[in-house]
This record gives sequence, structure tokens and C-alpha cells, in this order.
Amino acid sequence: MSDRSPDEDLLVGRAYDARLMRRLWALVRPHRRLAYLSLALYPLVAGVELLQPWLLKVAIDDYILPGDWAGLGHMALAFLASLLVLYGLRAVQTYVMHLTGQRVMHDLRQSLFTHLQGMDAAFFDRHPVGRLMTRVLNDVEAVNEMFVSGAVVVVGDVILLLGVVVILLVMDWRLALVTFAVVPALAGAAGYFRVRARESYRRVRAHLARLNTSLQESLQGMVVIQLFAREEAEARRFAGLNHDLRAAQFRSTFFDASLYAAVEVIGSVALALLLWHGGGQVLAGALTFGALVAFIEYTGRFFLPIRDLGAKYTVMQAAMVSAERIFGLLDTAPASRGGAAPDRASRPVPAARAGEPPAVEFDRVWFAYEGDRWIVRDCSFRVAPGEHVALVGGTGEGKSTIARLMLRLYDVGRGHVRVDGMDVREWDLGALRRHVGLVPQEVFLFTGTVEDNLRLVRDGAVTHEEIARALATANADRLLEALPRGLAEEVRERGVNLSQGQRQLLAIARALIYNPRVLALDEATSSVDAEAEALIQAALARLLAGRTSLVIAHRLSTVQRADRILVVRHGRIRESGRHAELLAAGGVYARLCAVQCGPLGP
Amino acid sequence: MRRLGGYLFRYRWRYAAGVACLAAATALALGIPWTVKQAVDGLSRGQGGRVLAQHVGVILLLAAGHGMFRLASRLAMVGAGQGTEHDVRRDLYLHFEQLPPAFYHRHRTGDLMSRATSDVAAVRMLAGFGSVMLVGTVLTFGGSLVAMWLIDPQLTLATIAPFPLLIFLAKRFNHAVDRQSTAVQEQQGVLAAKVQENLAGMAVVRAYTMERAEIARFGQINREFLVRSARLARTQAGFTPLIGLITGIGTLIILWLGGRAVVEERITLGALVAFNGYLAHLAWPTIALGWMLASLRRGLAAMARIAEVLEAPPLAPAEAGSCGVPPAAPAGAAVEVRGLTFAHEAREPALRDVDVLIPAGSLVAVVGPTGGGKSTLGALIVRLFEPPRGSVFVDGVDVRAMPLRELRHLVAYVPQEPFLFSRSLRDNLGLAADAVGDGEVARAVAAAGLDRDVADLPQGLGTVLGERGITLSGGQRSRAALARALVADPRVLVLDDPFAAVDPDTECEILTRLQAARAGRTTVIITHRLRAAARADWVVTLAGGRVVEQGRHADLVGRGGLYARLWRLQQIEDELERSEP
Repeated sequence: MSDRSPDEDLLVGRAYDARLMRRLWALVRPHRRLAYLSLALYPLVAGVELLQPWLLKVAIDDYILPGDWAGLGHMALAFLASLLVLYGLRAVQTYVMHLTGQRVMHDLRQSLFTHLQGMDAAFFDRHPVGRLMTRVLNDVEAVNEMFVSGAVVVVGDVILLLGVVVILLVMDWRLALVTFAVVPALAGAAGYFRVRARESYRRVRAHLARLNTSLQESLQGMVVIQLFAREEAEARRFAGLNHDLRAAQFRSTFFDASLYAAVEVIGSVALALLLWHGGGQVLAGALTFGALVAFIEYTGRFFLPIRDLGAKYTVMQAAMVSAERIFGLLDTAPASRGGAAPDRASRPVPAARAGEPPAVEFDRVWFAYEGDRWIVRDCSFRVAPGEHVALVGGTGEGKSTIARLMLRLYDVGRGHVRVDGMDVREWDLGALRRHVGLVPQEVFLFTGTVEDNLRLVRDGAVTHEEIARALATANADRLLEALPRGLAEEVRERGVNLSQGQRQLLAIARALIYNPRVLALDEATSSVDAEAEALIQAALARLLAGRTSLVIAHRLSTVQRADRILVVRHGRIRESGRHAELLAAGGVYARLCAVQCGPLGP
Repeated sequence: MRRLGGYLFRYRWRYAAGVACLAAATALALGIPWTVKQAVDGLSRGQGGRVLAQHVGVILLLAAGHGMFRLASRLAMVGAGQGTEHDVRRDLYLHFEQLPPAFYHRHRTGDLMSRATSDVAAVRMLAGFGSVMLVGTVLTFGGSLVAMWLIDPQLTLATIAPFPLLIFLAKRFNHAVDRQSTAVQEQQGVLAAKVQENLAGMAVVRAYTMERAEIARFGQINREFLVRSARLARTQAGFTPLIGLITGIGTLIILWLGGRAVVEERITLGALVAFNGYLAHLAWPTIALGWMLASLRRGLAAMARIAEVLEAPPLAPAEAGSCGVPPAAPAGAAVEVRGLTFAHEAREPALRDVDVLIPAGSLVAVVGPTGGGKSTLGALIVRLFEPPRGSVFVDGVDVRAMPLRELRHLVAYVPQEPFLFSRSLRDNLGLAADAVGDGEVARAVAAAGLDRDVADLPQGLGTVLGERGITLSGGQRSRAALARALVADPRVLVLDDPFAAVDPDTECEILTRLQAARAGRTTVIITHRLRAAARADWVVTLAGGRVVEQGRHADLVGRGGLYARLWRLQQIEDELERSEP
């Protein structure tokens, strides 16, 4: 992912971290039977694998050299059987291990996604989408690598290694010691080149990250580069990065290839030593031919695990770094939850007060997205139950923020936002958001069918009748008929295959189905044709009827229909009253209106 | 395909050397089992001591030689692959620089990035490691067969008899793995899209309390991903141990038939051991064949996607020569727009019949409602889009007849979205010219009203911006973009809404400084606020792509048209600002 900074790529973790391992084990626990099965298969696999050279030895010494043709047939059958059993065991074991990994990843992804649903808006302001995607996709994948090719398999390697050591010692301890003589050289070479290879590979990744970041920036800022005729200088800059990457890659290849070459050479040295010493033994009659052949075979099985140990170590490191990040995200609690847990739908009883409390009340509210850049300053107003209020003011004056505060998408800095007389922080979040609905300016549709988009509100508890009724009320039924598959029409990415008008009518239908008591609506500014506009206006009127509403108004008609107009300026209510009253008062609103309602209209 | 051939051809000597080394390495590697055969046969004849030591010595020499040649071949060929990647990426970048803004509107950055990263990497795999594998396996397979044939043709035939079947099996498996991993990748794409959509639409999810429904939907996708992954794992589990089975079956045949040949004294025991050694060399190519074919396919497909970008037509064919307009002169240059009608690809015209004359050295404001065509007009002056020939002139020369480089030295354009690179502020400001003195930078910073901000930055002009540095506020960014254009000291300066993110006091101050630093430079300010227009020598009002009014500020206010109304709105706005507590 390109959003990851190069420095983050350079993070090196420990290959084994007890605390992280405990948490990972907690994830494996539900699938522990699979994990146990896989682990139990390792000794079996190792056993059969170690049996094969032995069969070879017996075949040579007892049947081929003495010339026992019939007995050889039996040995061949035994060998065939061992091959098939080994194939079967390995297949089952690989499958079980992969499956365990995949299931754990499934659970991990699911809990990450679920966790993200509970985070508050401020969290998403701090964490860019790209970075969160990296957690859910790439980091989870890195942890999976641990199962597929990493740590868990080391257990199998160790069992195999121990088996080879024991068998060699039992067969001929002197010859075994001769073989082991190359192990320090092997381990040394593997260690040396592996450390260098890993180091150089990390440098490759850092260079690659730098190059990609620079490339992405160039693509985004290409216009600037072209405007200032900087093509040549930028190309030189990129050429430098490109060259560095290539040099780093070559270095990495050098160590990688050296490792493999060294291991092969050392393997041949071991073979030569075996032949030399073992050959002498054979001549002296201390060792059979078969045993020598078996020795050579065993030595081969001894080398690969040692060579690959380092690679597994690297995989483990990467997995631990990713696990750390994933758990870090899972441990981030939503900054504000207040009240009860959002999924407990306990509807609170509004505090008893004299008379009916206002549906919405802002009581000296201050709010800033960051630091002390106040967007809403000392803002106070009340909306009576059933009242239609229009918020008016320029862009960036804080109108949308006021709507967001009503749903407690953010917590206020100072003061109180009350709904039905109770501070929103005391409301159960789920209940609050059932009570207060928000229709944002940009219609956001999800991938899926049109029906899915309507059904998914209120967590999917919506009947067919409700959908049909809402579509009719929202004037959307006729527009939908224009779609080839009607309700079953697939909405593509963000609804690009629907017209602006269709999208808005769908948003209104969705709000109708959601049926909140209080509605905050950010009027769309995008223009649609006159016919669609008429349909939308009629639908909006029906949506607002019978509920308390706060509309961020961009149309004169909306303002004129409102029971009251609040003029917002610099996060504060400057004027309040009906359209006619405000016009008569001759304040800000009146003057803005006088100019704006001229021939070209707003 | 031909394009790829061209890239590979540049490294022909390296490939030739690599193949030669690989051949030598293979020959030496195949010599080892042969020497083992000699040694074992010697042993069976009772030869020890000197003879054995000689064989051992030969094995050590062969091993050392093999290791060195193998290393050399890898370095040569993998290095050539990396060179190819480097060249392809360089050419892509150079081409990216030539592509017009319209190209970047059509293609998302992510898509272009994936071509310059994963597709380029796939080409490297094909040109580097893939080629090593291909040549290596062919040589090893052939060499082993020859060696085995020399030992015993009959046994060789028997040993390779099951290979066609095994190759067939491996291919089937590989095919299945390919298909199923594509299915897994597709589902991964669906999963990624869902996460992205959910995170992007979080406000709606919250407002409609869709959290649980979203979790359930994600659960479905996640489960399907698990199902597909498990299916792939099952196939792979059957595939991976296959190599062991293949070598094993070969060993079995050698054990049985070869053992009989030894018993019948047709071959020696040493030959039997060597045969087993060669067999191990045969197994790997059988398995790797499918992988190599897949990597070849992927590499070629990636190259085709890269070629798509490389073949996209660049904005302007490199025009040789100069048009004779001096890029930097004490005085500004005149800009003239004549009967300009312009439409973005297959859309309604954004500008219709626009006639504007901007005399050299004047300050002109272009105003009007959003969507009126203001920005398009500005972009056409610097040819971010191609105006029709004979419609836009700078210093009397048609911009279409001017080499882009010269035009852009002549005219600096500050776009609405100030884009700064994540480098030091100094590097960002110096972008416009190769060598600028500190004095010029300081003057530009002051003229753009950025001097106080610079003083507040931790390392002043040396402060690194962006991802790994400091994020400037919107207002600071647009002033930095303005300063960057001033450093270029152009003869014409076009500013597209430079004060959108700047408060009115700062706007006034910058305007004053800008006018003082203008020194005869032609300046075009595109703005929706009219404070700048009031100071301009000439005002052009655009609405619906047409020039509705143009004239001096005072005249236009007196005329009582669109401009006059916009002006009254501005005045109310100013009054409100002043009356704020």
C-alpha cells in the first residue's frame, strides 16, 4: 500500500513476542482441533520421510548385492507404499495448516471490520482510509504467512532434523560426526548471507516505498510539473530513485544467490567427505554399501531445513510487526461512547420536565475539529417538536457541523446538545440515531441492488410493503420503472449508473423508510432538470411532514416554507425568525435576500 | 511483445553470458553424480586410497566451479531482468510527463500506479528469474537425460516413462491453481472494495444505524473469501507434495529395474547411485514448467498494459525551434483571446465565442458564478487543454504555435488546488527555476504574504512539507503556490482563485504586495470574490461560458448588471465581516 510511509516499512520486530503470541493463540483457540491435527501429523510425516533412505539401504545391502530378485520386489512394494502414505500425509497436513490460517484470518478480518464500525468520526478523521485498508488486508495477510510458511512449520523441520541426527549416529557415529563437521560451515554461511540478504531486502523495500511515494506524488502533481516545465529535473530526480532501487535489488540478488550457491557447495563438500571417509569404511568392511547410500540420502534431507530456517525467521518478523499493528488498532477504543453500548436499544425515558421539552436544543455549544479552531461558537437555539427550521448561511459557517452534532457524530467541546430534553451524551447511541436521522448533501449509495440500499437501513428489518410505500411517497416508483431491472438493478460504485435525480429520490425514500422523529437534511446543491426538481421538491415536502426537521437550505422555496429561519454565521446564530419577519427586520438575511433573489435567482 | 523484445535486446550480452555460465554450471553439476559413480565403482572393485582421494578431489572442484558459475549466471540474468525493469519504469515515467491533464482525468492514480509497480514487477520476473528458470530447467533436463542415456538407455526409457503423465498432472494442477487463485484474488478485490466503501461512507452507515447490516454483509464476503481460499488450499495441498511423489516414483523404478540390472550385472552399483542422483534433477523441471508458463503469461499481459500507457498520445509533439518571444523581459506580455469556443471531450462547450484583450502589463480580473468557464479560460492560456488554433495569443503569438516549454516560461499559472510536493518548502518554491538566489525566493515569499508563516516554521524555508513533514493550512498552501509562481518571474501570471482559503484581511494585504511586486507583469486573477476585481484595470464577467460584461470596475458597477449585483453581495459580505464581534 502506497500510503505506508517508508519508515514504517523499515520497522523490524522480534521474531517471537510472547505477548503477541498469546493473543494470536487466543485467535487460534476456536480452531485448535485443526491446529492440533496438523501438529500431530508432523512426527508421522517425519517418520515416513526418514524411513525411505532406510528402505534403500536394506534393498541394496540385502537384496541387490546378494542378487535376491524376489525380495527386491517386496522392497519395491514397501517403498511404493511409503511414497503414497507420505504424499497423503503431506497433502492432509498442508491443507489443514492452510485452512487453520485462513480461518484465523477470516475471524481477524471480521473482528477488525466490526471494531471499525464502532469507531467514532474523530477516529476516521485521524486515520486515513488507505491505512485502515492496509490493516484489514495486508497486515492480516502477513500474519497468515506465518501459518503457511513460517513458524509453525519450523516444528516439523526440527523434528526432521533431530530424527536425521539420531539415525545417522545410530548407523555409524564416526561417519555421522564427519557429516556434522560441515554443519558449522553451513550454519555460518546461511546465517551470514541470510542476515545480509534480509538487510538488503529491507533496503529494497525502503527504496521501493520511496520510489512509489515519489511516483504517486508526481502523478498527482503532474500538472504542476508541466506548468513549471520541470519535466527534465523531475525525470532526473526519478532516475536517481530508479537507479538506487536497481542497485539495492542487485545487492539483494547477490546475497540471495550467494546463499544458494554456498549451500550447494557445502552440500557437495559433505558428499565428498562422506565418500572419502565412508568409502574407506566400506573397503575395510566396517560399513555396507547400502548404509553409505542411505547416509548420502539422509544428509540431503538435513540441509534444506537448515538453509530455510532464516527465511522462516524473516516471515515471523514480518508477521509479528503486522500482528502488533492489528492488535494496536483493535485496542484503540472509540474516543467517546458515553451512555450505554450502542447496540443495546434501550430507549431512554426523557427526564420529566415542566411542559414538553424542545425536540432539539443547542445550549451554548462550542465545537472544534482540532485544537481551538472553533467551528461552532457559543451556539444556542431550540427547535420545538414538529417545527420546521431552515439553517441559512455561507459555506464553512458551521451548518453541517451543527447537524453532525445532533447525531453525536462528534462530541461538543463545551455546552450541551439536547434531544428530547436529554443530553445526547446520555442517550444510547443507537437509540439517538434511530430518533434523529441525517440526509447528507452527497447521496452515498452502497454497491448492491437498489433494494439492498433501501433495506439495509435499520439493520435490515424492513418489509417489502414499507419499501413500496416509501418509493411511492418519494415519487421514486416511476423513476425506478425506468431502470431495466427495477429494484434489482445493481448500483455500481457510488451509484454512478443512476442519474442525479434518481439518486436524490432514492435518498429520500431511504430516509422515509428509516422514519426518524427528527430529521437533519442537507439540501443537495447539484442541479437537476426542472421535472426532476419538481418531483424532488414534492417528495421532500412529504418527507418533512409530521416530523421535526432542520434543513440546511440552499433553495429559496425551502426557506419560504420553513416555520423559522436560523441565519448561521461563524458558527453562531445571528438571526432567527420567519422569512417575512426577517425580511421586515432588514438585517443580514434581508440584505442577502435582496441581492440574491434578483433576476438570476440563487 | 516486440516492445519487450526491444528492452531485452539491450541486455543481449548479459543474457548470452548468463546462458553460457548456466550451461557451464549445469555441466559441472551433472559431473558430480558421474564422479560419484566412478568412486562407487572403484570401491566395488576394491580401489581405495589414492583413487578415492582423486574422485573426492574432483567432486570438490566440480562443486566449487558449479557454485561460482551458478552465482555468475544468476547475477547476469537476474541483473538483466532488473535492468529491464529499470528501463521500462524510466520510460513510463518519461511518458507520464508528456501526457496531458485530460489523460489524468480519465485514469485514476491507483490504476496508473499499479501499472508502474506490479505490472513492471511482473515484467522483471519474466525477464529475470523467469528466464533463469526457463534456461536452467531446459539445460538441466536435457543434460540429465543425456547422462542417464549414457549409463543405460533401457533404464532411462523406463525411468522417464511416467513423466508424460506427471507433466500432464502437474499442468492440470497448475491450471486449477491458476484458476482458483484468480477466484481468490477477485474475491479479495470485492473484499477490499467493501472495506473502502464502508470506510468512505461511514457517516451514512452511522446515520442510518447500518452497522450490523454492514457487518453481516462484510461477513458474507469474508466467508466467501474463506471458502475460495480453502478451495485453493486444497488444490495446493495436493500439488505441493507432488514433487516428492515424482522423485519417489523415479527412485522406485530405479530401485526395482535398476536393482535388477545390477543383479544381472548389466550396470554397476555406482551407475545405480548416479542414476538416482540425475533423477532428482528431472523432477524439478516437471513441476516448474507450469509455474514458468504462468509467469510468462503474466509478464506478457503486464507488458501489454504498460504498452497501453506508453502508446497514449502525448500532449504536444515536441516542436523544435523557438517562436522568438523572450520568456523573461522587464515588461509583461499581452494576452489575446479571439472567438474562443472550447468544449471538454464530448461535453457541452465550457466557453463560447469568448473575446478578451489583456494589454501587456495590465491587471485583469475574471469573475462570475461557479461553472461559468473562468477556470477553463485560465487553463487554456497555458495550454493545459488544447485551445483551437488561432484563438489564444500571448505576445501576439498563437499559443498552439509555441513550444510548451517556452509558453510555460512565459506564463505562470497557479491552479485552484495548490499542490505542493513533500519536500522542503525551499525546494517547492525553487521548482520553477533551476538556480534561484535566496534573495529572489525571499522577495517572492514576501510578495505572496508568506513571510510570517515561514518565520513560524520550525526550519524556516528548509522545513519539509507533506507526508513526512509538516502539513500547511489551506491558506498557507495557496500562498506558497503563489510564491512559487512569483519565483519563476514570468511575464504573465494567471491566478485561479488564489484567495479561496485566505481571510479578507490577508487577501487585501497580498493584493497590495502583489501589485507592488508586479513591476509591469501582466496579471490575470480568476476569482469569485470581487475585492481583487475592484483594483483591476479591467474586469471580465463570465457566465454560462460567455462574456456577459467586460469593462472597468466603476463602469460595470454603474451598469447594474450581473457584476453590479455580485458587487453588492460582496459589500454586504464585507460589512458583515466588519460587524463581527
